[in-house]
Amino acid sequence: MNGTTAFWYASRATGVVALLLLTAVLVLGILVSRQGRLPGLPRFAVTSLHRNISLLAVAFIAVHVLTAVLDTYVNIPILAGVVPFASSYERGWLTLGAVSFDIMLAMIITSLLRGRLNRVLWRAVHLLAYLCWPVAFAHSIGSSRDLQHGWLLDLAVGCALAVAAAVSWRLAHAARQLPRAARVAAIMARHAPAPGTRGSERTRERIAR
Amino acid sequence: MTTTEMDSPAAHPAAGPAGGLPRLLPPVPGVPEDLRAHLARYGRPPYLGGPGLLIRGAQAAGLTGRGGAAFPVHRKLAIVAGARGRKVIVANGAESEPASRKDALLLRVAPNLVLDGLQLAAEAIGASEALLYLHPGVSQEIWRALSQRAAAGTDWIDVTITEAPPRFLAGQESALVNRLGGGPALPTFVPPRVSERGLRGAATLVQNVETLAHLALIARYGPRWFRALGTGQEPGSMLTTVYQADGTSQVIEVEIGAPLRTLLASQPQAAEAQALLIGGFHGTWLPTAQAASLTLDNATLNRHGAALGAGVIAALPAGRCGLVEAARVARYLAAESAGQCGPCLNGLPRMAAGLAELAGRGHRRQVRADLERWAGPRSLITGRGACNHPDGTVRFVASALTVFAPEIALHAQGHCSTTSRRPFLPLPDGMPTTEDDWF
Repeated sequence: MNGTTAFWYASRATGVVALLLLTAVLVLGILVSRQGRLPGLPRFAVTSLHRNISLLAVAFIAVHVLTAVLDTYVNIPILAGVVPFASSYERGWLTLGAVSFDIMLAMIITSLLRGRLNRVLWRAVHLLAYLCWPVAFAHSIGSSRDLQHGWLLDLAVGCALAVAAAVSWRLAHAARQLPRAARVAAIMARHAPAPGTRGSERTRERIAR
Repeated sequence: MTTTEMDSPAAHPAAGPAGGLPRLLPPVPGVPEDLRAHLARYGRPPYLGGPGLLIRGAQAAGLTGRGGAAFPVHRKLAIVAGARGRKVIVANGAESEPASRKDALLLRVAPNLVLDGLQLAAEAIGASEALLYLHPGVSQEIWRALSQRAAAGTDWIDVTITEAPPRFLAGQESALVNRLGGGPALPTFVPPRVSERGLRGAATLVQNVETLAHLALIARYGPRWFRALGTGQEPGSMLTTVYQADGTSQVIEVEIGAPLRTLLASQPQAAEAQALLIGGFHGTWLPTAQAASLTLDNATLNRHGAALGAGVIAALPAGRCGLVEAARVARYLAAESAGQCGPCLNGLPRMAAGLAELAGRGHRRQVRADLERWAGPRSLITGRGACNHPDGTVRFVASALTVFAPEIALHAQGHCSTTSRRPFLPLPDGMPTTEDDWF
């Protein structure tokens, strides 16, 4: 590695780290959306983790794009970071990168403005995460040889498996989910049953034990 | 009830009401006044001919909201009047507290006073839409009043009625706006406040019906007349729903700042009140000895951790178990959680279960520690909900734990001081189990 290739290596490295971070953000986001917890962390900390890692990922992607542009070995215009089809080098794969970055920016901007937007709009934009990650993944695999073999390929496969597991967990969890109006009733039946019902006797027994 | 001397009789028109009480309720208790009687007594609503003019009157009068939060009326009026775009006014008559009956009574016996206030406030903010939000039971009286008013041409704007579901939170401002918008009566996070962005995005003024009735009188007789009753900080009168220790209850209009004991009927020695619940189910228990010396104003009550709320005062007679009553109410409040915020959804049922265990005979030591975590000074529940429901419920439970501490000690040994097992505080049956229950 010398002065002329430093940018190229930096771009590839930050790209790999960004993929790992994006995978973590998506998995944490799925956990947040089902109000799940991580061992040892309260729920609000899972939300903060999701938020902070997503900002970190964007910082890595900014460096990833910037270094790719600054590198002179191939000619990538700065616009190619956000505008599809703007690069003649690897036009297809870089378009995917630009698209996923645009979606990320949309998600972050709507999240920062969440207090001023209605929840339906925010949620609609945020659901694009399920499009964003596969597009970013395809960009990662397609635009560089790095991830196509060796331990980096294992890493990429690991990321894909983690996302697949999280999505299936979400679907299974959603299928078991009670409708909002039934939640209070279910928790009441478990913890504070009406006096004189069988539930209350069970509570009494549990208390007596 | 209690009255004070008027400062200057000349300040009031001869046709004005007598100086004392009642101001809102008709002179013959419980007999509704139809439009003709209303017009004979008060005349037509005194429209001021432009927006904004009544706001100064409300400010000079020092009128505060009578729905429970005691927010200065002129500030809400000014916010909505100054907003850009369409404006909506809502008269909130969905008193959702099961123990409160004052709004229902006011709507039945003096509907025209409320509707005058609604019209005058609508003019003051330049509203393009006026709505009345009510429980189904009172709608009929109002329909009659509205059709009479339409015939007499007293109204500045048409009024639409929407019915509220029988839920504790149905009258909460943001829940009300959601219901009026066609959705379930569920609270949402603030900001934005409904006075900035409410019904379908329009700045929305939500005022309790009693507040509007006071406003109708202020528009007629002026701030000075209004201030002839009440304290300097909290002028005027208010409606209270009082549950006496003998099991009877009344709606009483009382001067703010009056001694609390004047509200309570004297009872035979054996049936005296052991504790007072002040401010309703989001309110505070106080021992009778402490409460009886207080006056009915927030400045005084706040010093004792209590507030007037929507004016519910209940005297729990000796011989009833305060823990059993508190556990019943806590259970009801937990069941009425909207189930949207974690601390409320998960915390309130556990708190209710803890209180129910204390209300039984013999309890685990762990229960007191748990209740301390939920209702103690460093509560895990307070300050974390979209609306005031978790905080209000914690306030109620925490005060019950303090005031009925001797009873808790008694229960721990397997005793209870109860002589009557009949429930005392009024609670509705049923809890929401499907989404339709919120419509």
